[in-house]
Amino acid sequence: MISQVFILSSKGDHLIYKDFRGEADKDAVSVFFEMVTALSGDQPPVVMSHKDLNFIHVRQGGLYWVASTKTNASPFTVIEFLNRLAALTKDYCGSLCEKSVRMNFALIYELLDEMVDYGYIQTTSTDILKNFIQTEAVTSKPFSLFDLSNVGLFGAETQQSKVAPSTAATRPIMSHRSEQGGKNEIFVDVVERLSVVIGSNGVLMKADVEGEIRVKCYLPTCSEMRIGLNEEFSIGRSQLRGYGTAVRVDECSFHQAVKLDEFDTYRILKVCPSQGEQTLMQYQLSDELPCAPPFRLFPTVEKDYGSRYTDCDLLSQELSSPDQTAELQLKNKAILWSIPRFPGGAQLSALFKVEVPSLSSASLLEVGPVSMSFELPKQTCTGLQIRFLRLSPTQPGMSQRWVRYVTHSDSYTIRI
Amino acid sequence: MEWASQLCENRGLGSKMTDSKYFTTTKKGEIFELKAELNSDKKEKKKEAVKKVIASMTVGKDVSALFPDVVNCMQTDNLELKKLVYLYLMNYAKSQPDMAIMAVNTFVKDCEDPNPLIRALAVRTMGCIRVDKITEYLCEPLRKCLKDEDPYVRKTAAVCVAKLHDINAQLVEDQGFLDTLKDLISDSNPMVVANAVAALSEIAESHPNSNLLDLNPQTINKLLTALNECTEWGQIFILDCLANYTPRDDRESQSICERVTPRLSHANSAVVLSAVKVLMKFMEMLPKDLDYYGTLLKKLAPPLVTLLSAEPELQYVALRNINLIVQKRPEILKHEMKVFFVKYNDPIYVKLEKLDIMIRLASQANIAQVLAELKEYATEVDVDFVRKAVRAIGRCAIKVEQSAERCVSTLLDLIQTKVNYVVQEAIVVIKDIFRKYPNKYESVIATLCENLDSLDEPEARAAMIWIVGEYAERIDNADELLESFLEGFHDESTQVQLQLLTAIVKLFLKKPTETQELVQQVLSLATQDSDNPDLRDRGYIYWRLLSTDPVAAKEVVLAEKPLISEETDLIEPTLLDELICHIGTLASVYHKPPSAFVEGGRGVQHKRLPARAGSGESAESPDVGQAVSAVSDAPPAVIPSQGDLLGDLLNLDLAPPTSNVPPVPSSMQMGAMDLLGGGLDSLLGGDVGGSPAMGVSLGGAPVGMPAGLGAAPAVGGGLGDLFDLGGGVGVTAGSYIPPKTVWLPAMKAKGLEISGTFARRSGVIHMDLSFTNKAMSVMTDFAIQFNKNSFGLAPAGPLQVLTPLSPNQTVDVSLPLSTTGPVMKMEPLNNLQVAVKNNIDVFYFSCQYPISLLFVEDGKMDRQVFLATWKDIPSENEAQFQIKDCHLNSDAASNKLQGSNIFTVAKRTVDTQDMLYQSVKLTNGIWMLAELRIQTGNPNSTDLELSVKCRAPEVSQYVYQCYELILRN
Repeated sequence: MISQVFILSSKGDHLIYKDFRGEADKDAVSVFFEMVTALSGDQPPVVMSHKDLNFIHVRQGGLYWVASTKTNASPFTVIEFLNRLAALTKDYCGSLCEKSVRMNFALIYELLDEMVDYGYIQTTSTDILKNFIQTEAVTSKPFSLFDLSNVGLFGAETQQSKVAPSTAATRPIMSHRSEQGGKNEIFVDVVERLSVVIGSNGVLMKADVEGEIRVKCYLPTCSEMRIGLNEEFSIGRSQLRGYGTAVRVDECSFHQAVKLDEFDTYRILKVCPSQGEQTLMQYQLSDELPCAPPFRLFPTVEKDYGSRYTDCDLLSQELSSPDQTAELQLKNKAILWSIPRFPGGAQLSALFKVEVPSLSSASLLEVGPVSMSFELPKQTCTGLQIRFLRLSPTQPGMSQRWVRYVTHSDSYTIRI
Repeated sequence: MEWASQLCENRGLGSKMTDSKYFTTTKKGEIFELKAELNSDKKEKKKEAVKKVIASMTVGKDVSALFPDVVNCMQTDNLELKKLVYLYLMNYAKSQPDMAIMAVNTFVKDCEDPNPLIRALAVRTMGCIRVDKITEYLCEPLRKCLKDEDPYVRKTAAVCVAKLHDINAQLVEDQGFLDTLKDLISDSNPMVVANAVAALSEIAESHPNSNLLDLNPQTINKLLTALNECTEWGQIFILDCLANYTPRDDRESQSICERVTPRLSHANSAVVLSAVKVLMKFMEMLPKDLDYYGTLLKKLAPPLVTLLSAEPELQYVALRNINLIVQKRPEILKHEMKVFFVKYNDPIYVKLEKLDIMIRLASQANIAQVLAELKEYATEVDVDFVRKAVRAIGRCAIKVEQSAERCVSTLLDLIQTKVNYVVQEAIVVIKDIFRKYPNKYESVIATLCENLDSLDEPEARAAMIWIVGEYAERIDNADELLESFLEGFHDESTQVQLQLLTAIVKLFLKKPTETQELVQQVLSLATQDSDNPDLRDRGYIYWRLLSTDPVAAKEVVLAEKPLISEETDLIEPTLLDELICHIGTLASVYHKPPSAFVEGGRGVQHKRLPARAGSGESAESPDVGQAVSAVSDAPPAVIPSQGDLLGDLLNLDLAPPTSNVPPVPSSMQMGAMDLLGGGLDSLLGGDVGGSPAMGVSLGGAPVGMPAGLGAAPAVGGGLGDLFDLGGGVGVTAGSYIPPKTVWLPAMKAKGLEISGTFARRSGVIHMDLSFTNKAMSVMTDFAIQFNKNSFGLAPAGPLQVLTPLSPNQTVDVSLPLSTTGPVMKMEPLNNLQVAVKNNIDVFYFSCQYPISLLFVEDGKMDRQVFLATWKDIPSENEAQFQIKDCHLNSDAASNKLQGSNIFTVAKRTVDTQDMLYQSVKLTNGIWMLAELRIQTGNPNSTDLELSVKCRAPEVSQYVYQCYELILRN
């Protein structure tokens, strides 16, 4: 049972404070902020306790979303709830930042009132909530197609966002009076996160894909949407179909609202999307990638017993293109090589020379691993595709449907 | 919203856009201005004013002065404004109770509003106004709303009952709201059901013994049906409620599991975890050989793995839970090692948890993979993580013997890196590996010695010194090495000093000739120049030992050390079982029982896993129900004749005790367990073996007679009445003596049948035996001996069977026992192995005595001492038990227990509970403290709760058995 919910800015300003059960003091807010700022790096910040009050928090949009409880509550429930609260705030207010929360406090209080009663979570579904919510969202600035500062795939910044309508992600779902609000749009995103470990001998040691299909819906009325996946899509290890071109995942879970009656035979997801953002399907694949990992690295490490310096220093670097940069981060004992973009099938090289104090043969053991972060637009590692996206009955007027694919690195490690 | 967009546009030109006008600083007349605006005629203006008030409220400004003005805005048909006013009311009503009454009329009116949203809003808000005076006005509207036609109103009203109960529990009961709430469990709308369940669960927690949430197969069925239909959050309420139910048998358990498993694929991790909790708990009841059990195990793995792809916050919480699950049922995740490999971008707290689970899952099958990973981790950047990874390698070596060699070579590789903290950590774990596998890996010592200089942490220095001392005879320059440490002796930490002292003494004992000077130096440093008492005392002891008896010194200092155990950081099983019942809650993240961090009585009842069906499994979960039956009158278990044992038993007087005691044959253990599963009832009621001595001796009270008064019927009616009159329940009952049972059946002992029991009479322990000759010839020359046992029980005199025993004759003997015999820990603790000899042969049997036999008469502890001792004993040593269906009040229980030397030190009454604080002292001086909780308020609740604290926690279970036995007889 949630006792209080509060939202704090990164500086600790009280943005929202709601007490559900009248059992804890308002001082809890400052106690929490003191505790959370005093945490050292290796202490788990998720659950903290002070006397008999337990704090559970998440950070989103640079804000602290905190719930406190005096009972032996479920942290899973609370974390899921706080994440939904943040997502709903984003759906209703358009974007998630200190400013939008400040300006829409009345709306957020109203949301909280409907979402939680006496510490019991009632609902987090937009469909249900929109029946109750009276307050209009206040948006910080009018939308403009020219304003590209905030572009991005929902939740994931992308460099490729120019291909997608840029205003979509930062528009409140309920702005009836806003002029742009009338546009009927629906976005379906296939987002995959890739974790790969490649051994020092080039062998793929581990490859996991976590993917999800997300929908952001701006259709005012609920109509059924049918999403067709690859027909050869299969779940689990045993049921391979066809001739090896199968798109396979190990595990799949679906949003409660997804109807699966056509899934088994036709691989069609049926759903009546509610306004706002939802994750329709999540899936995992481990160990067996259908394709080669997107990046390979050919490292060579040579030692050169030259002069001896006392400081670790990046002596020289040779990069293959001027728009790349590289810097030595002493704190992390790492070199950061940034490449803005490069085309498929290309090969890049870089040479770094580093002075290390008291170099020994054992020091070479400490070199590596190489970790990569990247984003691959228009690509899924599992090969999952969306065959079609149909709305029935067809929306009157102009309705636009968008499908986007992107693969991110979650943890892409190459050992040396 | 014009004001806001305007505002932002205006301010957007400037640099700061973070402020809105609600948050502007206090001006002098702000309250006054707001007051004027609140009383404005324009609705929009009013609304804006209320918003400003709420904004001030949020940042902590006191705007309570505006109470009457805000309340005035309440009567409006604008829902948005109404909501805002209610928001304000909830916050300030408590500080302005008198003015809050002003709002009551509007509330009551709103509860009748045609719009269900307004009805629900009014009921919801009223419940949140925690003012006593308001509650009485709340009753009527609430009653109507509970029966409202709209489910939204009903579900809000259901929660409101819980709110009201928290303010005024009596009122809720008097008004009959609880019954209405119970009816709502059968409501057609699943959301109403879910809220009713949540409200009832909460109310039930404050009345632990009320039958509010009467979970029976019918209600469970209703809940399971609602489970499929309600929202994800409702599903959590229902699953959590299901987890409190104990199915009647394994079949019911399976059918519930079958209906819960679909929840495992839910996208909401909270639903998944609540389902896991139900399954983990109910699984306990399924027989392990059932196909379904295996299926269920397989189904549990994927959802747990899926949790690891969530955001770090959820991952961390999930990992803490998985840590528990892996300890309880490692088979679920044994093939999933790879998912616990750390990612470079995991936060450090996630990495550390993953590492812990990796070690728990490490086995011979996957050790190569694990080691390769750990070696990679050991070269990462984060110091804490690297240290833990190195330690993990050592733990793997100790856990998986086959991998020890590979682990050691990995550690050596790491030492080669010369990274300071890696080297030190490696040396600390290599010391442990030496402890586990003595004399196996000394070849690495040379490498270790090379790194002496780089050690600057006490733990690593101490470990290195230990290694040098332990293997002094193989290290040529051990004396030089140790001497080098000695130079800065006083600057070392105590840990290092102690280790250095011991190591040099070891060195001296191994190489006495060259090191005399060194040992004298260290002894004088430790005794004369140090003011640390530990160090000084240890120094003196060594000094004395060395000077008086070097041989003895050698035996003491160089004694063989016990091997270190594999897993040192496992959670204690009873705590683990309790935590398993709390999966998915804070307790499972803290790894503490809820009572440790939840204040007051709410939700801190100890939960326990249900007992498994089928008796064969009882050995696996000793803390559950079946343990009850493992009491003194355990069935006879005959030890098969065995040469070693015979020698051991017979030679007790002649030779000093030999150290190699043969292990108790396991077949006997199994047999005992199987029979125990049959339950206490059959043992007491069935009069196993038909002992002819039944009822003859003082203690042999027929079943069902009051305890301790077994002799009364023989005395005659009059006297019996007197007894009854004199005391009723107040009579100090004598100690309970279980009836005799057959210990050695005739067919196993060439015609000699022995049955017996134990009794404590006026401070002396007696073994009451009946010998029956069922053979054809006369038996003579009886003698008895005991094997070494846990409490040193031994015959205090010879066995007095004076006359020869003719065929079909029975003789009763009472053998006084002492507790000064040789001691050896038995399993179970109260097991006693006996040898009886006659002219025909020697026979062996084992029996179990009630531990109450050992409770001494001076076991009453002083109150103050009790209090201090209770606090002093760590809470891990506390064991919880439940004594079901005991119809005794606290005085009667106290009297009964006192008869068996369980003394009540103090009594406290809290609400409807009597708490007896009791102390017991065993013959070997161990004290046991107990808290016995007895419900007094409710005649239907007859379960007693017993907490036992003892420095030797293994005894607790047996004490509990005695409580059971004494209170029931």
